[in-house]
Amino acid sequence: MDEGANRNAFRERGEGTDMQLTLPPRLSPQGFDAAVKALQGVVGAGWVMTTDQDRDAYADIYAPGPETLWGASGAVAPSTVEEIQAVVRIANEHKLPLWTVARGKNLGYGTAAPRMPGSMVLDLGRMDKIIELDPELGYCVIEPGVGFIDLYERIQREKLPLMMSVPGNGWGSVLGNALDHGIGYTPYGVHAKNICGMEVVLGTGDLIRTGLGAMEKNHAWHMFPFNYGPSWDQMFSQSNLGIVTKAGMWLMPEPDSSLELNLDIPEAEDIGWVVDTLTPLKLSGIIDQSIFIPSWLGKMVILGQRKDFWDKPGAIPDWRVAELLKEHKLGYWKVQIRVYGDEAVNKAKAEVIKATFKKHIATPMEEVWWRRGDPTNVMDTTLGVPSAVPLQMGDWVGGKSAHLGFSPVVPATSRHVLDQMKRSRKIISDHDVDFYASFTIGGRFANNVNMLMYDRDNPGQVEAIKKLFNALIADAAANGYAEYRTHIGWMDTIADTFDFNDHSMRRMTEKVKDALDPNGILSPGKQGIWPTAYADQRGKALA
Amino acid sequence: MRGVRTGLVALSIALALTGCKVVETDNKAQADGAPAGPPPPPPHQMRAEMAAGDRLHTTMTGEDLFSNRCGTCHLDWGMGTNLITKQQVALGRPPSMGLLANRDDLTADYVKSVARMGKGAMPRQTRVDVTDAELDRIAAYLGKGK
Repeated sequence: MDEGANRNAFRERGEGTDMQLTLPPRLSPQGFDAAVKALQGVVGAGWVMTTDQDRDAYADIYAPGPETLWGASGAVAPSTVEEIQAVVRIANEHKLPLWTVARGKNLGYGTAAPRMPGSMVLDLGRMDKIIELDPELGYCVIEPGVGFIDLYERIQREKLPLMMSVPGNGWGSVLGNALDHGIGYTPYGVHAKNICGMEVVLGTGDLIRTGLGAMEKNHAWHMFPFNYGPSWDQMFSQSNLGIVTKAGMWLMPEPDSSLELNLDIPEAEDIGWVVDTLTPLKLSGIIDQSIFIPSWLGKMVILGQRKDFWDKPGAIPDWRVAELLKEHKLGYWKVQIRVYGDEAVNKAKAEVIKATFKKHIATPMEEVWWRRGDPTNVMDTTLGVPSAVPLQMGDWVGGKSAHLGFSPVVPATSRHVLDQMKRSRKIISDHDVDFYASFTIGGRFANNVNMLMYDRDNPGQVEAIKKLFNALIADAAANGYAEYRTHIGWMDTIADTFDFNDHSMRRMTEKVKDALDPNGILSPGKQGIWPTAYADQRGKALA
Repeated sequence: MRGVRTGLVALSIALALTGCKVVETDNKAQADGAPAGPPPPPPHQMRAEMAAGDRLHTTMTGEDLFSNRCGTCHLDWGMGTNLITKQQVALGRPPSMGLLANRDDLTADYVKSVARMGKGAMPRQTRVDVTDAELDRIAAYLGKGK
């Protein structure tokens, strides 16, 4: 096959754009070349990547709009803490802003692309050591380049009695996901809470250890989650205040057994009583896991493409949804509860759960037991098996499929869940887009993720999705709800919604930013936090 | 609606035939009385381990490199395998062609182009995801076509 012909075919489809060099603000081409040369001296020429094709590879494959809006100038991939420190010193010297990614698989939120165009991606994918893996106390110490599948396979190879909590995309980094407040579906599903004790390179190149790690050779660093004095760990999550080079992560001891209780819930509005039933069970400890409640579309996206079920443009009408649910024997929602632990305890918990649900619905729950040693399959996300298959949902719309997640956090009660759902459902429907919601009850709150799928080859669809996203943000904020995480193109927009006392929280964080990173070279603009050095970039390159 | 059903049946069969081992799990035993659906997905397929050493001058085999660097999506029931299986079945080819390792129509250049430039749902791979040296070996391993 002729490679040239291939290239042209790809170009016509908008793939392989061969992105030209975008320089960061106020850095000359000569200054950039000098910085690249200095970086090559630290990590070796092969690990500084600045060709047009490299810039393409670090672009956001799901970009809502042109990828060049968030184009990197290149990428540098150190393999040790000392190399990271040297890279940071060079970045300071040459005023080269860095955009840190763990493995750069933050799909739907910008992938590896920087918030500020021209930043150089600091790719920590080569920092992939599993430093400790302790089944006795259930924790690991890992570097940012360790992916969910890497850690899972190590646990399996060593036959350790540990069970991971994994998100929808198992391709990504364990630490990167936790630091970005990612969620999973086991009792350890609020991933940021599992981080215990970090090592961090600051913007000046200094190296610190949080928690008890501030003491040289402390034995309890990765067990006790507080500092002596103020604790700083969360300051480095969703953050540009430092580069996390390794961290402790708690892992759940593998349970003796687990019981899955499945129930289809017929109507959209039923989510109200479902949440009011589940939240007390979660708060009282009958259910430990983060409970994922996807809507019907979560199942349909695995079965085929949208055009197989509805071949007209615009959202699938309610009458067709009702038909599809009937044809495929699906409820509007799928409640999939899992209890973990001793078999007798699980049985007792199941009785409580079933009795509670029986007050609302006569359908019996399907019960699926798993016992230690039983096989698991690739789709057993709630048993800690990582997979990228959930990303297959993108194929729903076909073409160069992509997704964005609109993800407000709501109190886990029917009042708030129904309120948010009714408003977002109407807005999504008004924009003629399919409604694909899920709620994950992680405690007193639920993460409401609304998947918005679109074909990037269809400019009309991209524009419509952007308009819709802006409408959803404005509406949620006006009603007192915020997103827990967002795409780089909306980071400033969401930061603006945190408006208490004239954005006093942001003002404080930016003071800290300037103090710790005077040249503002670490991930400027991340989550709407801009250093003084690049404050003029705020509000630019928005989606 | 006939088209939809045919499509679903084709997918179920396709997934059953990709060479995946069908596992008997409690999942199945418990589904007594439920309508017979597609078989359960296979267990996670372990990837080859990365050997220590300089990835810019790798000494690993193309097969092991493919397993490790591409295995997240391109082994049994991976996302890539599932999507390619659908495409291959639609083209009238056997579902086993969903696994890239089974294909005899790929050329090394084509493999390299898709890895670096992306295609459909396949994202472009950075040189940290897979180095040029690694990709050369993977492409030679997969490129059985002329």
